[in-house]
Amino acid sequence: MTTTVDRATRAGADPAPRRSRLTLHELMMAPALLLLAVLSIIPLVTLIAMSFSRVRLLGGVRLEWVGLDNWSRALTDADLWHGWALTLVYFVITLAIEMVLGIAIAAVLSRLARGRGPLLVLVLLPMFVAPAIVGLLGRYLTDSTFGLYAWVLQGVGIHHDILGNPHSALAAVVLMDVWEWTPLIALISLAGMTSVNPSILEAAALDGAGSWRTLWHIVLPSIMNVLTVALLIRSMDLVRYFDIITVTTNGGPADATKIMPLRLYESSFRFFDLGYAAVIGLMMLVLTIVIARIFVRMLSGKGQNA
Amino acid sequence: MTYLEDQQMTHRPKPVLTRRRALQLGGLGAGALATGFLAGCGASEPAPLPVAKPGTDPWRRFAGTTINFISENTAPTAAIAANLKPFTDLTGVRVNIGNLELQALVQRVALDMAGGQAQYDVVYADPYQVLAPYSKGLTDLRELDGRSGLPPLEKGLGDFIPTQLRAAGTFGDDGKIFALPYDAPTMIWQYRADIFDRYFDRMSADLGFDPTPGADRTWEEYRKIAAWINDHVDEVPYGTGHQAKQHDSLQCDFSNVLWAYGGDYFENGTEVGLSGSVHPGKCLLREDAAIEAATFYDGLVRIAHPGSRGWDWDGVAAALRAGQIAMTPNWHENAASNEQALPGKIDYAPLPRGPHRSANIYGGTGIAISGSSGGARLGAAWLFVNWATSPDTQLANLKSSVGGGTPTRSSVYELPEVKQAEQRPSKLPNMLTADAVTTAWKSDYIGLRPKIPMWNECDTALFTELSRMLAGQQSPKEAMTNAADRIDDIVARGWFA
Repeated sequence: MTTTVDRATRAGADPAPRRSRLTLHELMMAPALLLLAVLSIIPLVTLIAMSFSRVRLLGGVRLEWVGLDNWSRALTDADLWHGWALTLVYFVITLAIEMVLGIAIAAVLSRLARGRGPLLVLVLLPMFVAPAIVGLLGRYLTDSTFGLYAWVLQGVGIHHDILGNPHSALAAVVLMDVWEWTPLIALISLAGMTSVNPSILEAAALDGAGSWRTLWHIVLPSIMNVLTVALLIRSMDLVRYFDIITVTTNGGPADATKIMPLRLYESSFRFFDLGYAAVIGLMMLVLTIVIARIFVRMLSGKGQNA
Repeated sequence: MTYLEDQQMTHRPKPVLTRRRALQLGGLGAGALATGFLAGCGASEPAPLPVAKPGTDPWRRFAGTTINFISENTAPTAAIAANLKPFTDLTGVRVNIGNLELQALVQRVALDMAGGQAQYDVVYADPYQVLAPYSKGLTDLRELDGRSGLPPLEKGLGDFIPTQLRAAGTFGDDGKIFALPYDAPTMIWQYRADIFDRYFDRMSADLGFDPTPGADRTWEEYRKIAAWINDHVDEVPYGTGHQAKQHDSLQCDFSNVLWAYGGDYFENGTEVGLSGSVHPGKCLLREDAAIEAATFYDGLVRIAHPGSRGWDWDGVAAALRAGQIAMTPNWHENAASNEQALPGKIDYAPLPRGPHRSANIYGGTGIAISGSSGGARLGAAWLFVNWATSPDTQLANLKSSVGGGTPTRSSVYELPEVKQAEQRPSKLPNMLTADAVTTAWKSDYIGLRPKIPMWNECDTALFTELSRMLAGQQSPKEAMTNAADRIDDIVARGWFA
């Protein structure tokens, strides 16, 4: 162990700043790092350069320096901030529903002594459908001309179009994502629950703990690491949620479902305003990193406590 | 690690590369590679057209060449793709056809032009999303028409319907022709003739006017007819339906009313629609006529089928065919599908008039040749564009069992078999709309969106504000003012392709 005195002594003996050297290991890692640079760093540098430029396409890509124009435009764009607020609302609601439902389904499945396998397969089925197909299914089921759900609602006297109303449209796209991805949470949670030590559960039962108290005070704390991983995976997906909304509402009505990935797509591939799109892309990158850092920190905190 | 080990490590021979130096070099390398990466996306000069050998058949000159045609998934392209053999037999040229949804097509074309390699020789050039923003990347077709030993257009450029040639083929006033009219969808009044016939007397008596659809009806009368059908007709749940989804379709549907009420997007709107402009001036949507039009449109959608707020043009067409609505403004090329679903029950008329005129939005498109296409591929591309827009091919498309559009050549409409098809029973059901669209294409009736390079973004601003109005989040006046403000900002930023 190195003591404080040792460090102080060495600092006194070698006042010159130390320069770290590349070791053999690091040199051997260089090819992989170079590949990483080609795949990640060059696009990132290009993206940053684009965010300070006006990008011309015709006759070859050219960047014209415009300073902070794109950034100041983004920071003062009320629609963009509305998009961020909507993204946050969408993110929190969807994640909360998926986590609660997923854990509930896992809890029910974990208590089944027979038939768990076939039931699990049924529960997991939506996960294997491509998101664009989920969007198409949702669009057809809610279509006010021939949609099954619309027909059911009309039967109980509700005649408004599900995807044509701002509130119901947002609810519909949230539910489509919930339908598709809750099974993933259920699967991860179920894997965690099956690994809980049975003797602890038996002890809890002997002490008279009911199902709810066992779940809340024993099972959930035991699988918190697993749940954090599930949260991390779904969060990363939700930040770039795109397919279902594009197919169903395309961001409407009244921008009620236009979350950030759609705005990014619109700026880049509909308006070809690539400088501005780069700003939005970088903002999303920062958000993704922040979310990932929060969950990784939570995870490592739990790991140390365990 | 002990102090001793640490000391030993610090006295190792100094490596050639320090970590900091490596990072510095890495950063510089990434920057240089990024610059090289962007520079690599540059364009090169296209090869010139090969010289024709004396006595060569101009149509066989490029036999063995393969070209790529990228198109929106429209009826004419479906018909051409299903019957390419005549072209291959005539020229020996092979054509790969890519069918895409319009937004995907625009992306591919823009990226192809950025690459400068002309992966797509022939391009479906939507006037507002491809022609206006990327006209500098297209070939002036006058340089190929009958020149350098290439075959001229049969019956010449004059055979194309004049408003269509200007709207779909030109950008600016320099006389250049960038695209040849290829399809001509135009919005007209589509209605259930059986319902109008059955209830004609009651409707006339109750409403106090002749309800027969046509350009003599006003939009206010259209609304009254729709409301009357809502209340008195059992065959359909609603009188009218609209394509009022937050989508390009909402702008198209609203524009008919806007122009009818005397509103417009910019000064000299017709000229901006026909010739196009990069600097169209200040947006006019704040004016009273536009606000009046928005107020009327808001009221109309309120009595329309509730599905209207979620329908685009396909949705409202399906609703008409499914018996959900009795009438709607929609693209005339739905006629063939309408006739299949409800034979003999749907008729067509020009859209109603407002205080100013009857306006029928034109959505036609031309096909163009990429400016980066060169050599034999350029010649082969001309042969294809020439053939695909020829009267014979247009007639074949009209007869096609897989759809087919409506002709853009005047001479085709003069053919006896085409004239005969304008009445039922018709072998060419799209021709049932002939009377209505012939009126709609006249200069007093046609509705032309601004052909400006930044229209895509202006369009989005407009239909978003309209969608907010329809959702009850803002008044018609606020919708028009906000749309005008946004459009002015977009236009002020300019276009920088």
